[in-house]
Amino acid sequence: MGQFLLETVWLVPCYALIGGLLAVPWSPGIIRNTGPRPAGYVNLIMTLLAFVHSAIALQLTWNHPPQQVFIPWLSTAGLDLTIAIEISSISVGALVVITGLNFLAQIFAIGYMEMDWGWGRFYSLLGLFEAGLCALALCNNLFFSYIILEVLTLGTYLLVGLWFSQPLVVTGARDAFLTKRVGDLFLLMGVLALWPLAGTWSYPELAEWAATANVNPTIMALVGLALIAGPMGKCAQFPLHLWLDEAMEGPVPSTILRNSVVVASGAWVLIKLQPVLSLSPIVSSAMVGIGAVTAVGASLIAIAQIDVKRCQSYSVSAYMGLVFIAVGVQQDEAALLLVLTHAISAALLVMSTGGIIWNSVTQDVTQLGGLWTRRPISGIAFIVGTLGLIGFPPLGSFWALIKLADGLWETQPWLVGIIITVNALTAVSLTREFCLIFAGKPKQMSERSPEAHWPMILPMMILLGFTLHLPLVLQSLSLLPDWATLNKDVALLLIWSSISGCSITALIYLGNIPKPIRLPWKGLQDLFAYDFYTPKLYRMTIIFSVAKISQLADMIDRFVVDGIVNLVGLFSLLGGESLKYSTSGQPQFYALTVLLGVSVLGVWVTWPFWGVQFLDMIFQISTIR
Amino acid sequence: MQLQYFLLLAAALFCIGIYGVITSRNAVRVLMSIELLLNAVNLNLMAFSNFLDSTLIKGQVFTVFVITVAAAEAAVGLAIVLAIYRNRDTVDMEQFNLLKW
Repeated sequence: MGQFLLETVWLVPCYALIGGLLAVPWSPGIIRNTGPRPAGYVNLIMTLLAFVHSAIALQLTWNHPPQQVFIPWLSTAGLDLTIAIEISSISVGALVVITGLNFLAQIFAIGYMEMDWGWGRFYSLLGLFEAGLCALALCNNLFFSYIILEVLTLGTYLLVGLWFSQPLVVTGARDAFLTKRVGDLFLLMGVLALWPLAGTWSYPELAEWAATANVNPTIMALVGLALIAGPMGKCAQFPLHLWLDEAMEGPVPSTILRNSVVVASGAWVLIKLQPVLSLSPIVSSAMVGIGAVTAVGASLIAIAQIDVKRCQSYSVSAYMGLVFIAVGVQQDEAALLLVLTHAISAALLVMSTGGIIWNSVTQDVTQLGGLWTRRPISGIAFIVGTLGLIGFPPLGSFWALIKLADGLWETQPWLVGIIITVNALTAVSLTREFCLIFAGKPKQMSERSPEAHWPMILPMMILLGFTLHLPLVLQSLSLLPDWATLNKDVALLLIWSSISGCSITALIYLGNIPKPIRLPWKGLQDLFAYDFYTPKLYRMTIIFSVAKISQLADMIDRFVVDGIVNLVGLFSLLGGESLKYSTSGQPQFYALTVLLGVSVLGVWVTWPFWGVQFLDMIFQISTIR
Repeated sequence: MQLQYFLLLAAALFCIGIYGVITSRNAVRVLMSIELLLNAVNLNLMAFSNFLDSTLIKGQVFTVFVITVAAAEAAVGLAIVLAIYRNRDTVDMEQFNLLKW
C-alpha cells in the first residue's frame, strides 16, 4: 500500500486539477440555484487528499534514493519529450508544503470570501495553481518546468484579475502577466539554447553535463543570463518587480499563496538549474548582484509603504533576492531551506494581516492601530511570523540565514553584510507594521474591530503552530546545522541585527515621536514610498519605446505597405479616367489615329529594308552641316 | 517618264487628301478629300498597269471598279451628310462629337 502511494505520488497534481475542475460548475452562470460554496468544499477535500497522499509518500521517501518516473509525451524526429518525474524527499517535501499551505489558504478563503459570489472561479484557479506548483515540484525536466511556469503565469493573470470590475485590478493583472511573460520568454530562449549545448533538458543529466562541460564562456554567460531572467520575473526581482506590488490588488487568500509559494516557483527552477548556472562566473555574479540589489532595495521600499499588503510583497521580493544570492554562491541547500522557512512565515504574516483587512476594511497602516488588546491571536501570529522570517534563533529563517551567511563568511564577507542589512531592514519593516497595526491608540478605522471568525483564525493557528515547530521538525530530520560547528560571530551578528532592528523601530513607533514619521529628506522618503518610481521608469523606457515602435510599424503598414498596393489600384483608375478622353467623338480624329497606326506599323514592318539607309542619310546630312 | 514619278504624284495627292480628310470642318469637303484619296489610288493602279502589266492591264479594270464604287460611295456619303444636316442643321464636323467617352 505504502509503496503504491509512493509510486503514484504523481497523482497529487491531478487531485488538485480535478478539484479545480470540479469547482467550475458552481460558477454563477452554470448552477444558478445553490450558491457557490460547494466549489470551495470540493476543492478543500481534494486538497486534503493531495496533502495526505503526499505526507504519507514523504515518510516513505525518507532515507531512500530518489526515484524517477517517465511518462512519454511526444517523440518526433530527433526530439524525445518525455515527462520526467522525480520522487525524492525534497520534491515530495515540497508537495507537502504546497498542498499544506494551499489547504490552509483554502480554509482561510472560506472565511474571507464569505460575501463573494465568485467561488467557482476563485477555487478553480486555486486548484490550477496547486496543480501547477505540485507538478513543478515533481517535474525533473527543464522543458516541462517551463511549460508549467507559463501555465502559472496565465493563472496569475486570471487570479489577480478575479475582481475585474476594478480598474486597478485590470492594470495589475496586465502587468503581472506581461512582466512574468517577458521573463519566461527569455527563459525559453535559454532553454532552447541549452539543447544544442547539453543535448538534454533533464535536470540530473544537465548537472552531469555541467560537471564536465567545456563551453565557450561567452555563450554560457548569455545562456545563463537568459535562464535567470525567467526566475527573475517570477521571483519579482529588480527590475521585474513591479508586478508583485500591483498583484496585491488580488484577493487576500491568493496573496497567501503568491507570497509563499508562487513566487518561490521561480526560485525552485533556479535552484534546480544551479549546476548549469555555476558554469559561468558572470552569471553567478549577476545573480548575486540582482539578488543583493533587490534584497536591499525591496526591504527599504517595504519600510516606506503604507499599504500593508504592499509592505509584505516587498519583503517577499527581498527574501527572494536572498535566495538569488544563495543560488549565485552555489548554496542550494541554504536556498531551499530559506524558501521553505520564508514560505511558512510569509503565509502566516499574510493570514494575520488578511484577517485584519477583512474586518477593518482599510489596508492603510497609518489608519490602523491599537488592535493588540482586541485581536491578540492575529497579533501573536504576526509576531511569530515576523520572528520566523527574520533571523531570530529558535525559529526557521535564522537557520537558513545563518547557513547562508556561514558559507560566505570566509569568501565574500560583504555578502554577509548584505544579509545582515536585509535582515535588519526586514525586522524594521515588520516591526513597523506591527506597531502601526497592533500598538498605539485605536484610530477611526480600527475602533471596532473584532477578531475574525474561525475559518480565518483556524488556519492561522495551525500555521502558527507549524512555524513554531518547524525548527523541531528540521532538527528531527537533522537538517539544521550543528550548533557546535556554527560560526558564532555570524550568529551573534544576525541576532543582534534582528533585535536592534525590532527594538529601535519599536522605540520609534511606540515612543513620542510625532507621526507620521518624516525623514529629513522628503525626496528620499518619496523615492522609497513610490518604489524608486518604477512605473514611471517602465513607462519612460520599455513601454515608451515599444509604443513608439508599434505606432511606427502601424504607420508604415497603413501608409507605406497599404499605400503601395492602393497606389496600383489608383493608377489603373486614373489610367482609365484619363485615357477615356482618347475617344474624342471626332470621326476625323479616329481617322488620324487609324492612319497613324497604319503608318507606324508600316514603318515598323518595312524598317529592315530602308531603315539603315535612312539613318545613314540623316547622319550624313547632320555631319555635312 | 518613269513609274516612280507617277507613284510619287499619287502619294502626294493621297497625302493632300489625308490632310483634307483630317482637317476639314465641312462634311462635304471631307467627302471631296476622300475622292482625292480614291483618285490617288486610281493613279497608282493606272501607273502600275501601264508600266508592269501593259498586256493584260488588270489595273485599268480595277480602276473602272474603283471609280464605280467611288461614285456609289459619294452618293451614300452625301445622303448621310444630308440626313445629319436635316437633324442638326449644320455640316460642321466639330459639332458631330456626340459619341464620345
